[in-house]
Amino acid sequence: MEKRLIKKDALAGIPKKIRENFTVFAPVKVEDNVVFKELEPQEEPLVGHYQNTKNAPKGVFFPRTEVMMRYVRTPKGVQLKGIEMAAADAVLFGVRPCDARSFALLDLLFDQEKYKDPYYIAKREKATVVTLACARVPYRTCFCTSVEGGPLDGKGSDVLITDLGTDFLVEFLTPKGEKLGSYFEGTPASEEAEKKKEEVKQKAEGEIVSHIPAREIKPILDVNFDHPFWDTIHKKCLACGTCTYLCPTCHCFDISDEMKYDDGRRLRNWDSCMYPLFTKETSGHNPRPTQKERWRQRTMHKFKYYVDNFNAIACVGCGRCVMYCPVNIDIRKIVEDISKLQ
Amino acid sequence: MEAIERNLREEAKRLLAEKKVDVIVGYEAGTLPLTATPTFITDPAEAERLVWNPLCVHNLAKYVHDVITQHRNSQKRVKPESRTRKVVGVVARGCTSRSIILHLQERQYGREDIVIIGVPCQGYIDRKKLSVSLNGEEVLSGTIEGDEIKVMTGTGEKRLRLSDVLADNCITCRFNNPIISDVSLGEPASAMKAEEEFNEVNAFEQLSSDERWAYFEKEMAKCIRCYACRQACPSCYCPECFVEQSRPQWVGIGGDASDTQVFQIMRIFHMVGRCVDCGSCIAVCPMGVDLRKFLKKLDKDAFELFGSRAGSSLEDPPVLSTFKEHECEDFIYNP
Repeated sequence: MEKRLIKKDALAGIPKKIRENFTVFAPVKVEDNVVFKELEPQEEPLVGHYQNTKNAPKGVFFPRTEVMMRYVRTPKGVQLKGIEMAAADAVLFGVRPCDARSFALLDLLFDQEKYKDPYYIAKREKATVVTLACARVPYRTCFCTSVEGGPLDGKGSDVLITDLGTDFLVEFLTPKGEKLGSYFEGTPASEEAEKKKEEVKQKAEGEIVSHIPAREIKPILDVNFDHPFWDTIHKKCLACGTCTYLCPTCHCFDISDEMKYDDGRRLRNWDSCMYPLFTKETSGHNPRPTQKERWRQRTMHKFKYYVDNFNAIACVGCGRCVMYCPVNIDIRKIVEDISKLQ
Repeated sequence: MEAIERNLREEAKRLLAEKKVDVIVGYEAGTLPLTATPTFITDPAEAERLVWNPLCVHNLAKYVHDVITQHRNSQKRVKPESRTRKVVGVVARGCTSRSIILHLQERQYGREDIVIIGVPCQGYIDRKKLSVSLNGEEVLSGTIEGDEIKVMTGTGEKRLRLSDVLADNCITCRFNNPIISDVSLGEPASAMKAEEEFNEVNAFEQLSSDERWAYFEKEMAKCIRCYACRQACPSCYCPECFVEQSRPQWVGIGGDASDTQVFQIMRIFHMVGRCVDCGSCIAVCPMGVDLRKFLKKLDKDAFELFGSRAGSSLEDPPVLSTFKEHECEDFIYNP
């Protein structure tokens, strides 16, 4: 694995160079929001001068809506017109370590032995993730170290860039990342840089003020499906989809068919466990009839079911749901409260 | 403000202790600095949690409707003689009381189902404005001192004028005191700049239809269809929204721009004479869609054409659910 030091002022020009050969996704300021999106020809990405994007970058691999296939209705029945799985060579530039980690977590689900999701995999395989480590921790709501991540964590990344103060340390973590080597002109990193990175890491981790007992609540969740605690979270919940739509790891989807005359298309869309239609069955029955059951689902899915299935917590500690919930339902407090249940 | 808060807690404690109400819907401090969040108090001892300050954003009438409806539904399978009523106490400022009036007029619950604790209001802080005036820096801590907000961010302490970060709907609010209440706390609040209420809409009306449409398209393109606006709106209480109906399906759930526009247009048009301009839909929108421009236009039309303002008086029913003989309908005959 190669490591290089690059000059601080060199970083801003790199996405532009990469754009000549790749589709680039990066943080962009749009009105008052910093969003992670595909760079339009005239758009300038934010490099370094942002905390984190409002939306999670999961949408690159798992878009809010995507066409799975097209078909046409004929007198002889329905005929398949094509499956859409084309993906461009892409670079995700300036992802934060928590969000990069979300890709590794989503891989466990979409690219597992039993089920392979071709739509996700097609995009994921052709994409290279260039991560900008959090040398300064962006928010007081960040809690990545409580969910097995860290401000300098490289999981899910192909290239990891760390601000060492004087230079950037660029680590090429995977063969995919090494292929981008030519865009990062610099000098080989010495052991000293290594040491400096360790210092930056210690400092950044120390800056994190939010901590949650994420692993510790698993055994409690295992036996408390019917605990009265579940009556206490949801009352003020608006049942909007903000938390799930901004979440880097939420991945529930809904499939629907849309017809226009004889032309049909099958779409996959984000779903949200906060919605009344979530898991509603054709009969009209819904096993999760109220917000209480939906909130239990969201909590269990992140801190129990995903651990059962993949031995990983489905939360990266980015704090988006904490910051942007319109009624301040705070997952940190929920986890904390659960840890105190008898 | 502190005196009102103290009275509020005492009043809430009394109402709960005397069993005049089963639950109080109010605000408590949030887990993030400079935030308040809706809360439900059932134990008199918990009344101490209640707060009343310019961080109280949400129109709580939405929760009054939710709590009463859910309780009614839970009583459906109970024998008629054993059914119970649930009385909800609610902390209500002007716009909240207007929404309650609208609910009462639309027969959503009875006057006996609610106890209104009226509070005067000088507007609430728009979190997006606050964030912009801090250049997007995170609020580490903050306090409100009179007309000033003291905020600590990563780059040091900043002082902001409260009036600079109030929500637009608050700055020009005409009804910042409760219209109806059972308990009234504090002195009535002084008037806001109500005469400027329609300035923004008037300016928008001057644009060409192409420009207005372009603005609508631009704003709607931000929408991620999380439905926070609909969910926060006290006037959006349909048991099933048309966007969630599937037989037939009125709106696609994909990312097609026209589907989003249809959802928003339909919601906005359902608000004619029913929007109290509480700003909740805008406050909760994670993407900062400017819904108010369009809602305020309909508000203005309802007022200028029919002299109606949603929930401004119990005696003045919603404009689209009433017919008055003198109302001229020339347009039908002379298009």
